[in-house]
Amino acid sequence: MHKNPILRVCTKILFAPIILFGLYVQFHGDFGPGGGFQAGVIVASAFILYTIVFGLEKGKKLFPSNINLLLLALGGIIYGGVGIASIFLGEEFLSYNPLGSTPQSGQHIGILLVEFGVGLTVSNVMIALFNAFISFKSGKAS
Amino acid sequence: MISELIINAFLVTVMLAIAIALLKTRTVIFTVILTSAYSLVAALMFITLDAVDVAFTEASVGAGISTVLFLAAMAYLPKKEEETIGNQFIPALSCIILGAILIWCSYDLPQIGLVSSPIHQHVAPDYILGSRNDIGIPNIVTSVLASYRGYDTFGETIVVFTAGIAVLVLLQNKKKISKDTKSKIKKKVGRNA
Repeated sequence: MHKNPILRVCTKILFAPIILFGLYVQFHGDFGPGGGFQAGVIVASAFILYTIVFGLEKGKKLFPSNINLLLLALGGIIYGGVGIASIFLGEEFLSYNPLGSTPQSGQHIGILLVEFGVGLTVSNVMIALFNAFISFKSGKAS
Repeated sequence: MISELIINAFLVTVMLAIAIALLKTRTVIFTVILTSAYSLVAALMFITLDAVDVAFTEASVGAGISTVLFLAAMAYLPKKEEETIGNQFIPALSCIILGAILIWCSYDLPQIGLVSSPIHQHVAPDYILGSRNDIGIPNIVTSVLASYRGYDTFGETIVVFTAGIAVLVLLQNKKKISKDTKSKIKKKVGRNA
């Protein structure tokens, strides 16, 4: 845990806006620059900032590693699941047309879900990697 | 036109300066920070080419998260790189020859943004029209990434997932593994006995 009060207060103030910006990039990717990869990295950076300033224990209390690993796999499953849902609705793998009432709305829903899956996987991989790097060191020392 | 030239010349000069500084530095933390700065200048370069999505990715992934991960991994490295003494003439010569060939080849490339160049004649018109009519999304990059090239993005996601899992398995606490394997070995031995 960092003793500098400026760092701790700024981290607490910045945490929510960083995640909000990540969500904006995630769900506004259809209209402006952005998408799952960038948004995932931005959301992960908020959690990594928290872990850097407050330490690994508090970071794991905020975002437990079993949930982290679960969401890590869930992102890929959402992506694949959207593809398989298209197969069950009577079209090819990852053809989003049958997901909505019209092909266009189907495409909208499909792209939104797929980008969400990408963001989930990327952000959780980054958090898990950072935590693994940090805890590898402490595991070696003990 | 002239302002574009000035901006490009400035960015290339900064990139060259960072690259030369990277060659000279032997301290690990300076190397990491200079790589991050290089990525940031590369992101600016992508903005001048109107590739905003790529610039965004370069800034967030290249300059942001990879720097943090490098810094986290840096704790296991020695602080300074050992000076290697050797003949550097042949590597330098091959780099210069390769660079010269690449620059020579770049004169045959079509002008940036030229509509009649082959890359804009193949599938790009379909994507540009289809993104508006079939998909209804203003950002063509997203429609190509998530819909037209959905398979590729699926592969990318799985690559990120696999890489993350592999690193996690490699970096797992060694004590836990040895305990688990020990108990397994004990069980096996017990069964055999």
